[in-house]
Amino acid sequence: MLGFLRSRGVRKFRRDRLAMVALTIIASYLTVAVLLLLGLVVDKDETFERVGPNSLVGFLEEPDIEKRLIYLEFYLDEVYSAADGRNPEAELAAIDLYGRVPVSSDPDELIDRIDPLWETYDELIELYEEDEHTEVADFEERLAQLEQEAEALYTEPDGLLGRLALSLGTDRQGRSIFLRALYSIKVAVKIGLVCALVAVILGSILGGAAAFFGGVVDNVIVWLYSTFSAIPSIVLLMVLAAMFLGSKYEGTLVPVYTALCLTYWIAPCRVIRGEVIKLRELEYVQAATAVGYGRGRILLRHILPNTAHLMFINFSLYFIGAIKSEVILSFLNLGVKNEPSWGVMIQQAKQEVISGFFWQIGAATAFMFVLVLAFNILTDALQDAFDPKHV
Amino acid sequence: MSQDQPILSVEHLTTSFRTDRGIVTAVDDVSFELFRGETLGIVGESGCGKTVTSKSIMRLLPDHLTIYGPTSRIGFDGMNLATVPEPTMREVRGARIAMIFQEPMTSLNPVFRIGWQLDEALKYHTDLDRAQRRERSIEMLRLVEIPNAEKRIDEYPHQLSGGMRQRVMIAMALCCEPDILIADEPTTALDVTIQAQILHLMADLKNRLNTAIMLITHDLGVVAQVCDRLLVMYAGRVIEEGEIRDVFHHPRHPYTKALLDSIPKSGRRERGARLATIPGIVPSLFELPNGCRFEERCSLSEGRCADEEPNLELHGDRRVRCHFPIESGEPTAAKEAN
Amino acid sequence: MPLLEVRDLVKHFPVHGGFLNRAVGAVHAVNRVSFTVDRGEILGVVGESGCGKSTLGKCVIRLIEPTDGSITYDGEELIGLRHAELMPFRQRMQIIFQDPYSSLNPRLTVKALLKEVLKFHGMVEPSEMDDRIRELITKVGLRADSADKFPHEFSGGQRQRIGIARALALSPEFIVADEPVSALDVSIQAQVLNLMMDLKDDLGLTLLFISHDLKVIEHFCDRVLVMYLGFVVEELSCEDLHERAEHPYTKALLGANPINDPDERRELMVLQGDVPSPFDLPAGCPFAGRCPIVEDRCREERPPLEVKESGHRAACFLVE
Repeated sequence: MLGFLRSRGVRKFRRDRLAMVALTIIASYLTVAVLLLLGLVVDKDETFERVGPNSLVGFLEEPDIEKRLIYLEFYLDEVYSAADGRNPEAELAAIDLYGRVPVSSDPDELIDRIDPLWETYDELIELYEEDEHTEVADFEERLAQLEQEAEALYTEPDGLLGRLALSLGTDRQGRSIFLRALYSIKVAVKIGLVCALVAVILGSILGGAAAFFGGVVDNVIVWLYSTFSAIPSIVLLMVLAAMFLGSKYEGTLVPVYTALCLTYWIAPCRVIRGEVIKLRELEYVQAATAVGYGRGRILLRHILPNTAHLMFINFSLYFIGAIKSEVILSFLNLGVKNEPSWGVMIQQAKQEVISGFFWQIGAATAFMFVLVLAFNILTDALQDAFDPKHV
Repeated sequence: MSQDQPILSVEHLTTSFRTDRGIVTAVDDVSFELFRGETLGIVGESGCGKTVTSKSIMRLLPDHLTIYGPTSRIGFDGMNLATVPEPTMREVRGARIAMIFQEPMTSLNPVFRIGWQLDEALKYHTDLDRAQRRERSIEMLRLVEIPNAEKRIDEYPHQLSGGMRQRVMIAMALCCEPDILIADEPTTALDVTIQAQILHLMADLKNRLNTAIMLITHDLGVVAQVCDRLLVMYAGRVIEEGEIRDVFHHPRHPYTKALLDSIPKSGRRERGARLATIPGIVPSLFELPNGCRFEERCSLSEGRCADEEPNLELHGDRRVRCHFPIESGEPTAAKEAN
Repeated sequence: MPLLEVRDLVKHFPVHGGFLNRAVGAVHAVNRVSFTVDRGEILGVVGESGCGKSTLGKCVIRLIEPTDGSITYDGEELIGLRHAELMPFRQRMQIIFQDPYSSLNPRLTVKALLKEVLKFHGMVEPSEMDDRIRELITKVGLRADSADKFPHEFSGGQRQRIGIARALALSPEFIVADEPVSALDVSIQAQVLNLMMDLKDDLGLTLLFISHDLKVIEHFCDRVLVMYLGFVVEELSCEDLHERAEHPYTKALLGANPINDPDERRELMVLQGDVPSPFDLPAGCPFAGRCPIVEDRCREERPPLEVKESGHRAACFLVE
C-alpha cells in the first residue's frame, strides 16, 4: 500500500487539480451517505412526510400570486382545521412540518388568531379572482403581511436541514424535494458501491482465473461472458429485475443489486483477463516460477496486484454506471419503490414536468449529475495517471 | 570531406520538453553539417539525445510538448526547418528528407497492402498517374532487392519477415528520391545476418543514388562498417566529431575512448579478461552537473572539469568537448594523456 | 560426470486455429538437441531470433515443459518430476532474464523481492534475513540503501543487477542467463558482464549463457552451441571459433558480425533469404535454403550432428 502511495501514478494524480476537486465532491457525497446510513440526518420516514404545501417551488423561482394564495391557504387551513376539529388537542399535536409545529397548543387562541386572517385572505382572493388586484395599491403589501402572519403560526424551522427542507420545493404530496434528493444519495452510494465492488471482484477473479489457468476454465468463462454480453444490457437488466416482481423483495434494492451485479462483471472480467494474459508471459512471472512458487501464489501475489489500476478504473466506471442504471430501472418501475431514489423522483416527476413544475426532476438530476460528473473526471484522471501509455 | 555546400546544416539545435517534472533539455546546442553522398553516424547510449536530434530535424516531436531553442537553426535548402510552417514541412518530410525507424514490425500499417502504402507516398509527393506509380513501386521494391516484387507488392506487412519489412521501409523512404535519409537504429531489431543484408543494401543505395545518410545507432560495429564521419553524443551534447578512422583509432574524448574499449573484441580473446567499463550511469537530464557532463564517470577528470563545462573546440578537423583531450598518437596511453 | 546432460530434447508448441480451435500443427522450437555442461563451465548458445535458444534455456530448468527428451542434472532425471519434487532443483538452478523492465515485479521493493524468495525456501533464519539481503545487494554492486527502493527507481543496468541478486539469493550452482545484456547500453553491458564473470569465479557457478551476440559469447564463454531453426548445427570451443568454425552457418554468423574497426571494413558476408518457418521444417538440412555451398543431398536428407575431423561436432555433410 505504501508503495502504491509513493508510485508515480499517485504523484501525478495528486497534481491534477480538477481531479482533486472531483475527489472533494465525491468525498462530501460519501460523507453524507455515511451520515445517512448511520441514521444521523434524514431517516426514511421523514422523506415521506409532509413539510409544506403541495408543489411548492424552490428558492430560485418567484411564485406568482395564485401560488402564493394557495400556499397561504394551506398554512392557514392546516392549523385552523385542526383547531376546529373534533379532537383539537390531538390534531394540533399531530401537525409537524419537519420540525415546525403550531406556536400554541390552545385551539381557541389559534382560532381567534386565524379568523381575522381568513377575512383578509377572502378579500384578497376575491380581488384576485375579479382580476382587480393590480388596481389596488396595497394588495402586495397586504399579501406579504398576511404571509408573515400565517408563517408566525408555526415555530421557527429546526436547524440547517429544517431551513433547507423547503429550499428546493415540495412534490405533489408536499414532501421535501431536498430531503428526498439528499436521502437518495444513500441509495445511490449503496447501489454504486455494492454493484461496482461485486462486479469488479467477481470480474477480476473470473478474468484472472480464466487467463491464468487457461484451458477448460478459460473456455467456460469466456463462453459465459460472451453469452451474457450478447444480450442487450438494458433487456438483461429488465429481465433480471422483473424476476423479483411479486416476491417479497419487490421494491427493495435486492432486484437492482442482482440485475446490476450480474450484468456488470463482464467488462472487468474481459479487461482483467486480457491484462493477466499479458502479465502471465512477463519475465518476472517466469522468475517466480523458477523460484518454485505455486500457481495460486503467483496469481494472487505477483499478477493480480499488478492489475490494480484496472480494477480502480473499472470500479469508478461501474460505480456511476450502477447509479445511472438504477435511475433507469426505477423509471421503468422495476427498481426501488419503498424509499426515495433519484430514479423514483424522476419517475414521479413525469406529470409535474408537463404542468411546468421542474423542481423534482431538476433536483434529482442535479444531484446525480454532480456525482456522475465528478466520478467521470476522477476516472479520466485515474486513467491518465496510471495508464503507462499516457506518460 | 567534400568542400561543397552542406545539404543540411544544424546549428545550435536545442530541443526541450515540457514534462511533469518541469522542462528538460534533451538536445543541447547541437551543431553539425551533412554533405551530399556521405554517411554520418550519430552514436551514443540511450538517452543521449540522438533520436531526439533526428526527430527534431523531421519535426516529428509532439508540438505542444516540444520547445526549440531560439537560436536553433536547421538549415536545409535555404529554409530553417525549425521555424517553417507545418505545410512546408509536410512537403519536405518524406519527399526530401525521409526517415526509417527501428521497429520494422510497427512502422508499416498492418491493414494495408504494401503496394498501397508505397502508392500513398507517391500520390502525395509526385504527379505520377496510377499505372506509373505502381510501376515505380515495383521498381523501388526491386531496388531494395525484394524477390518477386510484382507479387510481393500485393501482400500485407504480416506476410513479410522483419528483414523484408525493413526493405519495404527503405523502399518507401527512397521512392521520392530524397536528398537525405535518416535511419534511426535501422538494424537494431534485426538479426546479424539480416543486419548485414540491410547495411549492404544501404551502402549500395548510397553509392547509386548519392543520398546523404544520417545513421543513428548505439552499435559502434555498424558505424565502423558504413559511416564516413562520426558524431558522438552524451547527455544531450555532442562531445566528439571527426572522420571515422580518426575517431576509432585515436579517440580524443575520454568517453569515446571508454566506449570503444568496453566492446568485447572479436577474434582477440583473452580468457577471463575483464572488459574495460565506464563506472556509474549517465546523469539524469533533470539533474545535470555544472561542469562537464561526463566528469563523474571520467577517469581523467581534474578539478576544473567539475566546475566548468568545456566547449566543443576544433582540433584540426576534429571537434572535441573536453578540457584535457587525449593527445592524438597516444591511443592507448590514457594515463599521461592530460 | 557433467553437471547437466541434455539428450534429444524436443519442444513443440501446438498451434491452434480453424474451427473450434483445434491443434492444426506445431512450431518446432527445439529439435532433438543434446549437449552437456561441465561443472564450472560457461556454455554459450548463439543463434538468431526464433532459433529456439531461449526455449532451450527455459526447458532445461523446466520453466517450459519439454515435449520429449531427457534432462539429467547431477545424475538425476528432471523430466517427470512433480512440483514438490522439483523444489530442491528450483533452488539449485536459477535464471537471469533479458528485459530489465519486465523481469521485476513493479510492486515489490528489492528487499521484499529477495525476502520472499529467501523465506519461501527457508534459506535463512529470520534474524539473519537483513544481513543476507544486504550481502546480496552489495555483492551485485548496488548500494546497501537500495533495499527499500522500487524497480522503477533504478536504471536498466541496476535492474539487471537486481535480477542477478534474485537469481543468486538461493545460492544456486547452475544459472541460465537468457540474453542478460542484450537490452543494455554498451558501457553498462560491460559492467554487467564483468560482474557476472566475478560472481562466476567467486561462487563457482556453472552457466548456460544465451545470446545472439557472437562478440559477447566469444568474450564470455568456454564453449558454444550454434543453433539454427531449433537444431544445434555446430558445437565448438570459443577459442576455436574464428579459426576452426566449419559449419557454413557459423561462418556466416561470424562473417555478418560487423567488426569494430573502420580499417578492416569488409564486404560483410551476406546470406541470402530468411530463416524458414519453424512451422513446417524443411525435410533436409535446415540451413539448405540459404547455404552458399548447398548440394542436392542437403535438401533431401538431414545431416546428423557428429564429431568431425577437427574434433568438434558439426551437422553438415560437406564437412569432413
